[in-house]
Amino acid sequence: MGLLDRLSGLLGLKKKEVHVLCLGLDNSGKTTIINKLKPSNAQSQDIVPTIGFSIEKFKSSSLSFTVFDMSGQGRYRNLWEHYYKEGQAIIFVIDSSDRLRMVVAKEELDTLLNHPDIKHRRIPILFFANKMDLRDAVTSVKVSQLLCLENIKDKPWHICASDAIKGEGLQEGVDWLQDQIQAVKT
Amino acid sequence: MAAASSSDSDSGRAESNEASSKWLDAHYDPMANIHTFSSCLALADLHGDGEYKLVVGDLGPGGQHPRLKVLKGPTVLTESPLPALPAAAATFLMEQHEPRTPALALASGPCVYVYKNLRPYFKFSLPQLPPNPLEQDLWNQAKEDRIDPLTLKEMLEGIREKAEVPLSVQSLRFLQLELSEMEAFVSQHKSRSIKRQTVITTMTTLKKNLADEDAVSCLVLGTENKELLVLDPEAFTILAKMSLPSVPVFLEVSGQFDVEFRLAAACRNGNVYILRRDSKHPKYCIELSAQPVGLVRVHKVLVVGSTQESLHGFTHKGRKLWTVQMPASILTMNLLEQRSRGLQAVMAGLANGEVRIYHDKALLNVIRTPDAVTSLCFGRYGREDNTLIITTRGGGLIIKILKRTAVFVEAGGVVGPPPAQAMKLSVPRKTRLYVDQTLREREAGTAMHRTFQTDLHLLRLRAARAYVRALESSLNPVSVTAREPLKLHAVVQGLGPTFKLTLHLQNTSAARPILGLLVCFLYNEVLYALPRAFFKVPLLVPGLIYPLETFVESLSDKGISDIIKVLVLREGQSAPLLSAHINMPVSEGLAAA
Repeated sequence: MGLLDRLSGLLGLKKKEVHVLCLGLDNSGKTTIINKLKPSNAQSQDIVPTIGFSIEKFKSSSLSFTVFDMSGQGRYRNLWEHYYKEGQAIIFVIDSSDRLRMVVAKEELDTLLNHPDIKHRRIPILFFANKMDLRDAVTSVKVSQLLCLENIKDKPWHICASDAIKGEGLQEGVDWLQDQIQAVKT
Repeated sequence: MAAASSSDSDSGRAESNEASSKWLDAHYDPMANIHTFSSCLALADLHGDGEYKLVVGDLGPGGQHPRLKVLKGPTVLTESPLPALPAAAATFLMEQHEPRTPALALASGPCVYVYKNLRPYFKFSLPQLPPNPLEQDLWNQAKEDRIDPLTLKEMLEGIREKAEVPLSVQSLRFLQLELSEMEAFVSQHKSRSIKRQTVITTMTTLKKNLADEDAVSCLVLGTENKELLVLDPEAFTILAKMSLPSVPVFLEVSGQFDVEFRLAAACRNGNVYILRRDSKHPKYCIELSAQPVGLVRVHKVLVVGSTQESLHGFTHKGRKLWTVQMPASILTMNLLEQRSRGLQAVMAGLANGEVRIYHDKALLNVIRTPDAVTSLCFGRYGREDNTLIITTRGGGLIIKILKRTAVFVEAGGVVGPPPAQAMKLSVPRKTRLYVDQTLREREAGTAMHRTFQTDLHLLRLRAARAYVRALESSLNPVSVTAREPLKLHAVVQGLGPTFKLTLHLQNTSAARPILGLLVCFLYNEVLYALPRAFFKVPLLVPGLIYPLETFVESLSDKGISDIIKVLVLREGQSAPLLSAHINMPVSEGLAAA
């Protein structure tokens, strides 16, 4: 790191980079959330199902996020584990209106938490209980119950109710994630 | 017994506990109020939005209020009443145009109701059949008031008993009526011409000219008057008509209508008929030993479930491949197809609340449900590919999702022939003698058989003669004379030179005691010495066994043994009642000394 870089880092001009994994079942709204977090001139209008994964970047007040937006389709879910090592935080998106597949989300979350690359790391996990605008959506409290989030003892986690289309609840989640990452760093 | 225990151990292996189960319990509602069969369940993306819905032709509680229900996730999306009980539900693509949303067909009574986008689109009715002329004539007479309802009833009953052409619905309803209601019924219905229509028993889909997943399909109907009909997907005209010897209840099709197809129809007479494209009549027939309860095609194997609690596998030409026994009777069957792994298996819902999944003969998995399963359906539901939908007898709905990581492995190594069968036996080479003998046996088979039979008869005769002689001279240890039914049984104990000889004497008569018997031993006095060679037997009470003991001293030191004869005599008679020959053992004590 050059002198100039260090100087700008101290002054807060250059933001720290963090790698974040964005996981969740297909059609839960991962890409929409990431899209909404990008500056408004970089947002794309129509969101299509992600194939494999895509890398997106956005900035918060003090961090620069590099997000691995993974595809949630069943056949691509086995790709997730290859990126666990690099991730410094996880965003897990849940479709609150899909009551039937809540068990699938729980199953995937349990597999994630029991993976050797994740299990012994104190890695912050942010849950978005997405699609709160839909009529049959369940509350974020109910989602955390259904996913048994209270059993996560060794990692900081936080659940936010969100509506990715309108962008509600996203900033709250990102702020929490930023605080957690900085707390881990210092 | 052995089969039952082995199947139990199989289920123990295939069944997994909660943590390592292959299934996720997505939903269970015991009060979902869904009463249906596997044929009335269908999964399809009805709105073209990627969300697969479940179509249920619901019979209603007690078959009272038939309804068409469409479920999205665990909730009912729409519900509409049906005019008659549903027989089958199917989804199919009607045309090539975009958007490619599948149509829904529901067979009920004599009609197929076709829905597009969940709105009624077309109603196909089966063609009318010619009515019985006698019946027609009777109703014409009733129209002109020439016969009264009672006579009409009697005449119609006569037709129902004898005629080959069955009665129309109108006449059948008339025959059910009470006397008081008949008059009104006749006056109301006499002006209408009678119609005879058959009903649909089963329905399935058949691809028209492409084998693709999203190709246009024809509907195939099975009817109560023993016919199979293939309908055009767009115009709903009858493209082909085939007749069967019995009423079809389950249908399985493969192939394409315009190219080549095979139809398998399980019928009410307990046979499965296989038809091909050009055949108007069945080409092959599988005769089952019991009634079929389900028919599923797995790749090229037809799997038939029968009322004898078993699954049978057949080839497309009707050759039997295997049979698997179930622990309880089969209620329903369906196909499990896991596309991502290319697996096809049969699911069978049993009366004991189990769902068993078989790949050919091998048991893959057992799911236990709280109630007996009446219908099963596996496929894409909502956005999840491998979803299993189960409905139970009590109207419950169970939705299970197959885990992404789950792999079905065949439980136990019972697949294929046992390993011993593959072992090569060291069969000796065919010798000259062997060949000659075989040739001789082939040529003179009859003569050899005759000789054998003669010898056998001679042997039997000789045995019978010896037996008679033994009976006459009372040489046997059981006396069957009417006055003294006795049984004797002797035991020798000890190593020698002194042996203990115990005679067990039993009076086998029902009530009468026996008095005045004597026991006498005959032996070689050089070899043996007995303290008492002749003694009286006490009174023998019926049924009890009397042990009579005596000691035998072996005198010889040369290791020789002899026979001691025991005679049971009656006082004042010289002929013995019973006799027994006791083979004395060699005196070992003396030999050792």
